[in-house]
Amino acid sequence: MTKLRRLLLLLAVFAMIAAGCGSDGGDSDSASTDDGATDESAEDDAMAEDDDAMAEDDAMAEDDGEGHSGGAADVIAAFIYIGPPGDAGWTFAHDEGRKAAEAATGATTLFIENVPEGTEDFANAARDFIENEGANLIVGTSFGYMDDMETLAGEYPDVVFEHISGFKSNDSNFGNTFGRMYEPRYLSGMAAASVSETGQLGYVAAFPIPEVIRGINAFTLGARAVNPDATVEVNWTATWFDPPVEGNSAQALIDAGADVIAMHQDSTAAGEVAEAAGVRWVSYNSDMSAFAPEAFVTAPVWDWGPRYTALIEAVGDGSYTPGGYWGGLSDGVVDLAPLADDVPADVAGQIDDLKGQIVDGSFHPFAGPVNDQDGNEVIADGETPDDGSLLGMDYFVEGVIGSAAG
Amino acid sequence: MKRPVLVRRDRVLPGSQAFAFVAGLVVALLFGAILLIASGHDPIEVYGRMWSSSFGSTNGLGRTFNRAVPLALAGLAVAIAGTMGLWNIGAEGQILAGALGAAWVARIGETWSSPALITAMLVAGTIAGLVWALGPALAKAGLGVNEIITTLMLNEVAVRVVRYLLNGAWKDPASLNFPVAPKLPEAARLPGLFGRAHLGVVIALVVIALVAVVVNRSAWGYELRIAGSSGPAAAYAGISLKRKILTVLLVSGAIAGLGGAIELTGNAERITEGISNGYGFAGIIVAALALMRPWAIPAVAVVFGAVQVGGSSIQTLGVPASVADILQALILAGALIAGVLMAYRVRWVSTRAQDPSGDGLEAVAGV
Repeated sequence: MTKLRRLLLLLAVFAMIAAGCGSDGGDSDSASTDDGATDESAEDDAMAEDDDAMAEDDAMAEDDGEGHSGGAADVIAAFIYIGPPGDAGWTFAHDEGRKAAEAATGATTLFIENVPEGTEDFANAARDFIENEGANLIVGTSFGYMDDMETLAGEYPDVVFEHISGFKSNDSNFGNTFGRMYEPRYLSGMAAASVSETGQLGYVAAFPIPEVIRGINAFTLGARAVNPDATVEVNWTATWFDPPVEGNSAQALIDAGADVIAMHQDSTAAGEVAEAAGVRWVSYNSDMSAFAPEAFVTAPVWDWGPRYTALIEAVGDGSYTPGGYWGGLSDGVVDLAPLADDVPADVAGQIDDLKGQIVDGSFHPFAGPVNDQDGNEVIADGETPDDGSLLGMDYFVEGVIGSAAG
Repeated sequence: MKRPVLVRRDRVLPGSQAFAFVAGLVVALLFGAILLIASGHDPIEVYGRMWSSSFGSTNGLGRTFNRAVPLALAGLAVAIAGTMGLWNIGAEGQILAGALGAAWVARIGETWSSPALITAMLVAGTIAGLVWALGPALAKAGLGVNEIITTLMLNEVAVRVVRYLLNGAWKDPASLNFPVAPKLPEAARLPGLFGRAHLGVVIALVVIALVAVVVNRSAWGYELRIAGSSGPAAAYAGISLKRKILTVLLVSGAIAGLGGAIELTGNAERITEGISNGYGFAGIIVAALALMRPWAIPAVAVVFGAVQVGGSSIQTLGVPASVADILQALILAGALIAGVLMAYRVRWVSTRAQDPSGDGLEAVAGV
C-alpha cells in the first residue's frame, strides 16, 4: 500500500514536471480548441470499437474449471499476501509455510504479493487464480480480505477459501485460521523483563485491534511475572509494514527510557534501531536474530507449514470442513524462538516449564486475577477468559502505558 | 564540453500526442520484454495475459473500466485545476472525503429505496469532496497560500478522520472490536452495467463530457483557460482571478469527491482507510498524460487502468510483484517521456553558452 503510493507519488511528481513542459507546448498551439473537438469524436469511435470487441469475446470468458478430485497432489493452492515475502516478517512466515506445505503434499502452490485491502485487487487476483490457473484453495493472509472472501466463497462453491486472522466463515467452503500468539508473547515478555535493567519496556505496535492488544497484554503479564514493577510503553505506528515509521517509533520509545523493544510489526526496522542504540529487542513473526544479533532476545514466531499442509490435505481428500481454527503452542502453529544466551538460567527454566504447562493446558497466560490499566479487576482470581472475550479484547492490562484506543 | 538542453519545437507535429503515447508504450514494452526474459518469463505469454485480463474479455474489460473510473475522475479533478495552472495534489484526500460523505448517507438512509439512497450518496460524496477543497481554495484565493502544500497535507487529515471514525463512532458492533465500519446495505450498491463493470462508468463519462463542454465551449471555461495561460492578462481583461481560483478548486474537489462516492457504492463492501488506493496521485499522472484536456482523460484513464489491472494479473502467472511494478512504471514513464519529446527536442550546447532559447530544462524544472 505505502509502497504503491510512493511509486505513484514519484511518478506523479515526474508527471507534474512533464506537464509543465507539455502545457507550454499546448499554449503555443493556437488552434488547440478545434483540434480538441475533432480528436474528441475520434476518441468516441475508439471507445465504441472497444465495446464491439468485448461483445465478441464474451464466449472466451467462460471458465473451463473442472473439479479437482484426486489427492493432495492435485490441489492448486493460491496464496494472496498483503506484503512481500521478502519482509522477513508476516508474509515471509506465510510464504515459508506455503513452501513447506508444497514440499509435504506435492500440491501446486501459487502466490501474489502486495495486494491492498479494500480494493478490487483481491477479488481480481482470486478470480485469476481460479479461472486461469484452476486454483481450488484460496488462502488470504490479511484481515481486510474477509468481505471479499465471503462473497467469492458464495460465487465459487467448489473452491475452498481460508482466511487468516478473521472471524467469519460459512458452513461449506469458507473458514478462518489463526494462532494463539498470546501464548509465546507471554513467554517473550518474561525473557524481555529478565534482560531489562530499568524495567521499562517499549512496544512498537501497528493498529489497536484485539489481536495486537491481546499480544501487548500477554507480553506485559509475562514481563510482570518476572519483574512485578515492569512497565510496557506502547507506541502506535498505524502501519503493518513501513520500516522508517517502525524505526522512528522504536527510537521514540528508546528515547523515553525503554531498554527492551518488543513489536507487533512486519519489518526488522525496530531491531536495527535497537541494535544501533545498544538496547535489546524482541522480534516477531520469525526468528530475526540475524538482523540484530546483539539486540535480539527472542521472538514469538509463526509456523504455518503444518496448518497449510493439513488444509491442502483436507481439500485434496474432500474432508475440508470450515470453521474457526485457533491453534496454539500445542499445535505448533506458534512458537518461541531460541533465547539469547544472557537470559538468566532460572528465567529460561521457568519459560520452559510454563511452555510445557501451556501445551498441556495447565497454565493460561490470562488466568486471573488480571487488572486493567486503571486497576479494575477484569478477570477474577481463578478464572480464565473464554475465546470470545480474548478475540474481542479492547483494554490494556495493568503495567501498560498508552491508550488501547490508538 | 557539451551538455543537453531541451528546446521547444517550433511547430508541434500533427497528431503528435497520440503518436507519442503509442510510441512510448511500444518502447516501454520492448524494455519490459528484456526485463521479463532476464527474469525467466516468456514476454509473449505475460503480455498476452496482460491483454486478456484487461481488454480481451468481458470481465477483464469490466475490471479495467471500473479501475478507470476513479482514475479518470481524479485525473479530471487535477486537469480542471491544471487548466488554470493550479495543482490539486489533494484528490487522494478528496476521494476519501467523498467516500466518507457517501458512507455517512448510507448510515442514515438504510431504509431508503435504492435509487434514492445511491443518488443521495453520490450527491453527498460530491459535496464532501468540495468541502475538503474549501480550505485550500479559500486560502489560495484570499491569501495566495500555495495550494500544492495545503491540498497535499489535507490528504493525511482525511486518512486520520476515517481512522478516527472507524475506531470509534462508526465501528461495526459485530466486528469483535476490529476497527471496521459495518457493511453497506444492499440498496447502496451501484447497479451493474456489463460483466463486472458498474454504472459508475457511465456517470464518469457524463461528468467528463460535461466538464469538457464547459471548459471548451463556455465563457467560464474560456476565462479559465485565459487565466491559466496568463494571470495578468486575464486580470486586465476584467476576469476575477480570485473567484476563478475559488470555483475551480471547489469544482476540482467535488469531482474527486464524486469519484470517492462511486468507488464506495460501486466497488467497496464498506468504507476503509485504503479506499482511495493512490487514485488521487495516479490522477496527476492521468491529467499530465491527457495534457490537462478533459476529452483526453477517458482514454488515458482506461489505458492506465488496464496497466494496473494487467500488472496485477500477471503476478498470478508467477511474475514477481517487483517486475510487474517496474513494467507498470516503465509503461507510464515511457508515455510521459515520449510526450515531452514530442513538444521538445534535445540540443547539445556548449557548457559556456547560455541556454539559447531561454526556456530549456532549467526553466522547465522551475515550474
